[in-house]
Amino acid sequence: MVRFLVYGIPVLLVALLVTAFLTVISFSSDRKNELTIGSIGEPTRLNPIQSAESSASEVEQFIFESLLHFDQNLEVEPLLAKSYTQSQTTTITFRDPAALTTALTQVEMARASWPAWTLQKTQVEENSLLLEFSLPGLDASEKVFALFDPATTLPFTTLRAETGGKAREILKQFQALDPAPAIVRTWFDYDAAFEITVLGDGTEVLARLKDFLAAEKLPHATASVLETRAFLAEPSVNFVLRQDVHWHDGEPFTSRDVVFTYNSIMDETVASPRKPDFDLIQTLTAPNPHEVHITYRKPYSPALNSWMIGLLPAHILEGKPTSWWNDEFNRHPVGTGPFKFSDWKTNESLRVVRNADYWQGAPWLDAVVFRYLPDPVSIRIAFMTRQTDFWGVDPWAVASFKEDPRFQVFRYPANQYNYVGWNLRNPLFQDVRVRTAFAHAVNVPEMIKYILYGNGVQSNGIFPPHFWFSDPSQKPISYDPKLAAKLLDEAGWVPGTDGIRVKDGKRLAFTLIVNQGNEVRKDIATIVQDNLRTVGAEVDVAIYEWAVFISRFINKLEFDATVLGWSTGPDYDAYQVWHSSQTNPGQLNFVGYNNPKVDALLSQIRQEYDPVKIKSLAGQIQKTIFDDQPYLFLFVPDATSVIWNDSFRICRPDGQGGFVDTPVEITKAGWSYYMQWFYRPDFSKNLPSERKIKTLLP
Amino acid sequence: MITFIIRRLLITVVLVFFISIISFFIITLTPGSPYPWGELNPKISESVKENFRKQFHLDEPIWNQYWFNMRGLFTGELRSIKDGRPVLERITERLPATLALNLCAMTIALSFGLLVGIYSAKVSGQWQDTALSTVAFGFLAIPEFWVAYLLIIGLTAGFAVPLMGTVSHGILFPNALAASLDWLWHLALPATMLALGSIAVQSRYVRASMLETLREDYIRTAQAKGLSPEKVLYHHALRNSLRPLITGIGSLLPALIGGAVIIETIFAYPGIGRLGYQAVLERDYPTLVALNFITAMLVLIGNLLADVLYAVVDPRVRLE
Repeated sequence: MVRFLVYGIPVLLVALLVTAFLTVISFSSDRKNELTIGSIGEPTRLNPIQSAESSASEVEQFIFESLLHFDQNLEVEPLLAKSYTQSQTTTITFRDPAALTTALTQVEMARASWPAWTLQKTQVEENSLLLEFSLPGLDASEKVFALFDPATTLPFTTLRAETGGKAREILKQFQALDPAPAIVRTWFDYDAAFEITVLGDGTEVLARLKDFLAAEKLPHATASVLETRAFLAEPSVNFVLRQDVHWHDGEPFTSRDVVFTYNSIMDETVASPRKPDFDLIQTLTAPNPHEVHITYRKPYSPALNSWMIGLLPAHILEGKPTSWWNDEFNRHPVGTGPFKFSDWKTNESLRVVRNADYWQGAPWLDAVVFRYLPDPVSIRIAFMTRQTDFWGVDPWAVASFKEDPRFQVFRYPANQYNYVGWNLRNPLFQDVRVRTAFAHAVNVPEMIKYILYGNGVQSNGIFPPHFWFSDPSQKPISYDPKLAAKLLDEAGWVPGTDGIRVKDGKRLAFTLIVNQGNEVRKDIATIVQDNLRTVGAEVDVAIYEWAVFISRFINKLEFDATVLGWSTGPDYDAYQVWHSSQTNPGQLNFVGYNNPKVDALLSQIRQEYDPVKIKSLAGQIQKTIFDDQPYLFLFVPDATSVIWNDSFRICRPDGQGGFVDTPVEITKAGWSYYMQWFYRPDFSKNLPSERKIKTLLP
Repeated sequence: MITFIIRRLLITVVLVFFISIISFFIITLTPGSPYPWGELNPKISESVKENFRKQFHLDEPIWNQYWFNMRGLFTGELRSIKDGRPVLERITERLPATLALNLCAMTIALSFGLLVGIYSAKVSGQWQDTALSTVAFGFLAIPEFWVAYLLIIGLTAGFAVPLMGTVSHGILFPNALAASLDWLWHLALPATMLALGSIAVQSRYVRASMLETLREDYIRTAQAKGLSPEKVLYHHALRNSLRPLITGIGSLLPALIGGAVIIETIFAYPGIGRLGYQAVLERDYPTLVALNFITAMLVLIGNLLADVLYAVVDPRVRLE
């Protein structure tokens, strides 16, 4: 008996293993009507207002939808909004009614002489002239204001009070004073400060505010004038919503959901990382279930992009506690998108299934499955065994797939750039000639060739070249070690006995820090080290774990130079990375770049709505920063993906009630842009009838 | 015996307390922060981070943080900083897969270890014994991840057989039997890899102990009685030679839910090992606190259990 067990159990185990292997092998060619995506990053929560990681938005794009989105050319297009209109109300207040009457006639007379007239309507409210413009921005308002005698108008002054907490409560008490201070607009910078806008130069209100804060025994509170403007410019946007959209549980989508999403983002307890995008909203109202009207505190053109945020269902979440860990919804999201959430096994897979009632028409696939795999090796194995349908293949592996007829390879520029950042507080890097010399000394084309295997382009500044506002005339810096040596000579750095340059007894030596786990950056550091050695600079490379790298060095501004990269949407607002006010510890201008010209341009571009002017301003920003070389701009890598040939096609709506059938194709927004309309050629059961489909020949 | 157990349990409680303090400080003093978003995200303002810190008591003194974590652990309120879910839920959802993997690995290790050990003892000194010893030491010396990758490369080069995770994806199985065989297949590979080293260890234990037992007087008596060699080996010798394995039972308890980070990662298996590893990388203090606490408890209880079992099977051992 014992003997039987000793020999029998191992034999049984081997037999089971063989049976299991044969079973799996024999069924592995029977495919389900699904698309499986392999990914290393796994989201923590599926809630568009709380998640900030790209792994979450990858899933959320199937479940949630937004008012606006990018189309295949990365241009803004309405989605859940049927349409939207932007406008601006500018308020100019006059000292007396007579001046107002004069002003009105002046405006009417000027109207004839301006061909591109964006002034839609004028309105009078007491002593104020309200001008409604069809395009937001400051230019038109300034032009109209120039018609008047400034002495007849009253300016608007914004006061800022730092309360160090309880800002809402304190302002409420201040407003309750008798007589009530005449406040036109208020805004809270979280609960730490408030800003109030008053008519006139604000001296009287400021004095009262200071007295009030002193009387309330708030010793750390301060109040000061923030800015004075000749007029009050308030851009607004009006969204008309689609009426044919339903949530996954059948409830109709209405303006109530937009209002709820906005209120949740603004709710302190939600701690939404998206809140800063929405802080500029003055009012958000829903006049009826299918319209949302938003006014902004001041012109800020990137604000419109914030409406690409996925919307939340009010009927499910309203009244629930909105704390960060309201995990029930975050793990079982309900949206309006083409796929419904089905199930999620942490560290394994996440499945979304076909939404048969999708307003653009049900998708053809039964499900989209995200598989979460721990490293590039397991992703590769999963792809090669057809356990996932596509693979974001590493650049070095692309070549072998290009020649293999079983695969189709896609390549498109990624929305990012890599750089070496010089800590400009360090005297070594304060001379622009030294920074330029380093840029000339580093062989970036070779880097692209050997690190990216040719899958990338050299960076020409802070905007990747495929963004619409990027300046194509800006040439990347040339590889020229001789010129680099000459520049270093000019800057006073002369070669010492050991070949390392010296100036005033100081060696041209510094430490370049890199984070652990990013092979590309490690390779960059090695090449930089080697290249700079040839022009007489000694570079030490130090590698730290990411958390240590950030908290110990970058955030404390204690580093010489670092290899990093920025991932960015097609957003021209680079204020946080380049404005001189953002150079404190923990902020993003950690290299300490400070150029008043760039500061002014950065403030200006945020207030500009005209695409032509945005492009010109972006070009100036890009050129000015590039000439200063605060970074050594390296390259914009390509994103590369591979799919099994002929495994999918696209059948997407043509916008006229029919469908277009195409092979999987690449768009400016990547090859996966139409993923919701993918279908498997061997599964046509969900596809529409033949005559509605137009086939585009490749 | 009863007083022994009670005394040991009391010591265990004190030990666990100290372990929890030391491990908590080691975890929290590691540089880095547990934000669920990238550190260099332009969209995250300082006040959002502040609000977040407040919600997880990260802005409080370290002693208070320790207190919140321990209290939360016992009330079940402790939530992961990573995804906001209760820590115990995160751990228990991994239990079925982890238990299956470890039980499977143990079954393989014990059954093959026993088989190889007994056989080696039987043929001790002959060339088969030398060959098996060489292989056993080979498996002990070669890192398991290397063998695992060789296996994976071999399998995927020859057949497009699914390997990763707990089940195949995108494949249509006709019935539940085929689907459960698929599950078994995904379980078998990582379990075998986990078991390789233990098979070698167990077989050496069994072999040594068997040889020792075979030299005992009562074995000679049994042989002299005219019992068949098989009967002597499996009936008389085996039982007594299994005593050393009992010590191993103590380490079985923590091993049952213990993680195997490397093998779980190679096979993309969603076990407790990867949970703990990710928690370290993400500085998810609550999850680490809970995992450390549970592991410490199991190790201590496992040791106690081994001592007690030893006294039960071997009358010569007295617990005082």
